[in-house]
Amino acid sequence: MRPLTLKRVLWTSAALLAVLFGVVIVAMKVGAYRISFADLALNLGRLILGRRAHIPSDYQVAFGYRLPRIELSILVGAALSVAGAGFQALLRNPLADPYVLGVSSGGALGAIVALILLPHFLLATPLAAFVGAIATIAAVYFLGRRKGQLDSTTLLLAGIISASFLSAMIIFLMTNTSGSNLRGMPFWLMGDLSTPLPEAMHWVLLAGLIIGVGAIYTTAADLNLITTGEREAMHLGVEVTRVKLVVYISASLLTGLAVSMSGAIGYVGLLVPHVMRMIFGPDYRILIPASAIGGAIALLAADTLARTVMFPTELPVGAVTAMAGAPLFIYLLRRRLR
Amino acid sequence: MGFGHKFRGAKRRRASVVATLAAILCCATLLLSTPAARAAQTGQTSQPAAQANPENAKALPPLVVKDEVGRRVEVPQPVRRIVSLAPSLTETIYALGLQDRLVGDTDFCDYPAEARKLPKVGGPFTPNLEVILSMKPDLVLLAANSANRKETADALDLLHVPAYATDARTIDDVLASISRLGEVLGAAEQGHALEDSLRARLNALHKKLGTAAQVRVLFIVWQEPLISIGQETFLADAMRWAGAESVVRTKQDWPHVNLEEVVRLQPDYLVFASAHPEEITSTLANMRNLPGWRDMKALQENRIAIVSDAINRPAPRLVDAIEELARDLHPEVFAEGPHASLRHQNNNAQRQVKQIAAQAGASL
Amino acid sequence: MNDAGNGAQVIAYPGGEGGAESPVRLKIEQASYAYHPHGQSAPAFTLAATSFAARQREVVTILGPNASGKSTLLKLIAGTLKPLSGRVELEGFETSRLDTRTRAQKIAMVHQESPLLFPSRAGEYVLQGRHPYGRMLRFETKEDVEIAENALAQVGAEDLRDRWMHEISGGEKQRVILARALAQQPILLLLDEPTLHLDIGAQVELLERLRELAAESRYTVVVVTHELSLAAEFADQVVLLHEGKCLRVGTPADVYRRDLLEQVFEAPLDVDLGPEGRPRVHIRGARGHRVGGHLKET
Repeated sequence: MRPLTLKRVLWTSAALLAVLFGVVIVAMKVGAYRISFADLALNLGRLILGRRAHIPSDYQVAFGYRLPRIELSILVGAALSVAGAGFQALLRNPLADPYVLGVSSGGALGAIVALILLPHFLLATPLAAFVGAIATIAAVYFLGRRKGQLDSTTLLLAGIISASFLSAMIIFLMTNTSGSNLRGMPFWLMGDLSTPLPEAMHWVLLAGLIIGVGAIYTTAADLNLITTGEREAMHLGVEVTRVKLVVYISASLLTGLAVSMSGAIGYVGLLVPHVMRMIFGPDYRILIPASAIGGAIALLAADTLARTVMFPTELPVGAVTAMAGAPLFIYLLRRRLR
Repeated sequence: MGFGHKFRGAKRRRASVVATLAAILCCATLLLSTPAARAAQTGQTSQPAAQANPENAKALPPLVVKDEVGRRVEVPQPVRRIVSLAPSLTETIYALGLQDRLVGDTDFCDYPAEARKLPKVGGPFTPNLEVILSMKPDLVLLAANSANRKETADALDLLHVPAYATDARTIDDVLASISRLGEVLGAAEQGHALEDSLRARLNALHKKLGTAAQVRVLFIVWQEPLISIGQETFLADAMRWAGAESVVRTKQDWPHVNLEEVVRLQPDYLVFASAHPEEITSTLANMRNLPGWRDMKALQENRIAIVSDAINRPAPRLVDAIEELARDLHPEVFAEGPHASLRHQNNNAQRQVKQIAAQAGASL
Repeated sequence: MNDAGNGAQVIAYPGGEGGAESPVRLKIEQASYAYHPHGQSAPAFTLAATSFAARQREVVTILGPNASGKSTLLKLIAGTLKPLSGRVELEGFETSRLDTRTRAQKIAMVHQESPLLFPSRAGEYVLQGRHPYGRMLRFETKEDVEIAENALAQVGAEDLRDRWMHEISGGEKQRVILARALAQQPILLLLDEPTLHLDIGAQVELLERLRELAAESRYTVVVVTHELSLAAEFADQVVLLHEGKCLRVGTPADVYRRDLLEQVFEAPLDVDLGPEGRPRVHIRGARGHRVGGHLKET
């Protein structure tokens, strides 16, 4: 029997990062501008060395728009996948995804309210979406307790009910508000990475990702035990209450951040952990880094497809993840049942 | 589980070294490049004006205007490269005679026919921002009220591309918008001329209709579900100018109306807008026998007006469509003579605008 | 031996392999508990003051029908419940005051099987038993692997090491679960109705193994069960519970009295002694009828 070692975790992460690097190169190459590998390497070099004035304007624009978009897909993909893995353990449900507790609906409602009340303030939408997400997390926490502790079933029910309620409010607002500011909401609800964000938000997302993933990773060994049963885990020395709270807060934070930056991109948080489990096993000490990097790869690939497949029209990235994700999900389901 | 067993010994070590280097390179690229890239982007915007027009060594200062949704826009002078993100704006640009400055438009820009041949940026809702950037526009035009998303305007702001949005809610607004657009684009004369001629036609129409009673209409945007227009849309205003009034009284823009209620109101006419009237007639044949529709007198008595889909676009052809609709709804007012005189006026106005445009073009 | 029928009793020490020389490891002194559902003042369930003691190498059975308080008593022993009155002590420490980690190093609990969320192999499952000995972000050491493999050997399941948990039989799974508990290297081994889903062969095998383990490795084993025959065969000490009260504590021979058993289990039973002095229980033909829940012979 070969137990999991730190070396294996690091080796796996490095291999996955190499794959991610490859996808990044491909993503950099495709798009409105024609870019050759040689020029790309040359200009990336100039960029890193700080010799910006020498970079031709075509590449400047590509770097100015395409590179931040690539970075956003990576950060959001990683956040959603780790959150999904965390929720699957917390809710004791392999079908859990980051949105099952209503976080995305809360975020959407926040975004809508911002679009109605403050359409001219650029940062209003992501901030309000984040506030909406956090408010939903808190509400579901209080609703989801049983005898003062987080209970998986109660939490799931509370989340589903909140999500329904919030969705109803969203539909109500969208059909009853005049004005063109809400016209983009369906894109938000599907998930959209095409809208650039101010630089500050990228740093916030990066910081949140590091904190959230780090916090969940400290409970990785505990999560392995919790998936065999909460009672059993407690008798094996796991502080179940504390672990559940940490995972709940971290996974919700990651989801809230992702959702406020890019809308509710579906299937990534659900499927990436399952695929990684199939390849690397269910041990959370390797699953969490694998999901993070795997999620980055998946979402970056999906976004690249979204902006090239029907060029020059942009598909919302949520449409691509759904179209690729649904058949993959069916395939995984059948494998499990076999 | 895992692929570790596939690599052994020296091969494994080499593979891990390569993987680690790739990982470090990947992280370094991403971390270092994004802030640098943004700085590069801001640097780039001060270049295009100088690059595009080398003979104007001294570029004019930009014109600062407030667009129709209240955004502050710095319009570079002169505006040589325009990207239009709405079919109505594309039409207006052609009407203003400025089409040689148009470098890109959307997939749906189909009028006039030449507009179809321009390079495309995608749909009005989902334009490809990179493609827009690659066209190096001096100004991007959006129609807030009809075709584009606010997010696209925000994105252009963040990418430092000047973007001007129109937002016309009434027919007066549409006309004023046209002349204001002319001013912004440095073609004030054409803009005013166009506005005046359109206004003249509308006033003539108004006079012609005189004291004729307002026809009560149901404007059908979509049949299943039944969607009509709200009182505050420019379509409702277009109805009024055509001597009609929409029976649907609500402030919501695209209300999903209750069929029973609409039947109860028994509008005098049903109005559809379509480029393909044959489709509508076949749809109507199917609708006639459905419950609810069965009792709609306008449908049974074939009081249907099908107007061209130009009525959906806040552009000069809107006036054509209004005139057409007025003729359909008030046949008693329009005997043969007046048709000819209206069209004559129309052609005169267009010729005038083209002349002014030609003169203006010569001096640029 | 004191005998009052309805009171909790401390019994003079039984024989069994430990004998009077083994130190007392587990002491339950007048431990009681009351369960109040949220917001109600009247308790829904009470466990009256109970006392007994267990030594090293001893197998104790907590015996009784359903809802007699067996699980509650087991939780008091495990320290997950704090007794309302009285004390539960393991080697001098109150179990309910132990921190989670220390408790997991001393006490191992084998529950009835709960479904695993994600497929895993038996070896990895057993390795999880080493969790109480690790730091936060730690990976298992070679030593841990050895201990886990030994635990599997102790239950005779070495060949199951690389098999998937969802592919092995109920009896095999129960052995693996037991191995995980052993990997914790506890001094007290608690089992909650371990024979519930097993066929008779597997049941006997499990209890034999528990007796061997207790003898060889000096565990103290406490098993909760309602299986009369098994308890009689394998227990050194029996704690008989009925409706939240401990009726008797003692060796099987002491506790298995016909009147007591009939009262507790409400079934027509006969008891006689087998060749090794252990009682054997027989079901008498059902000739009685029930009046108010109690059996009355016709």
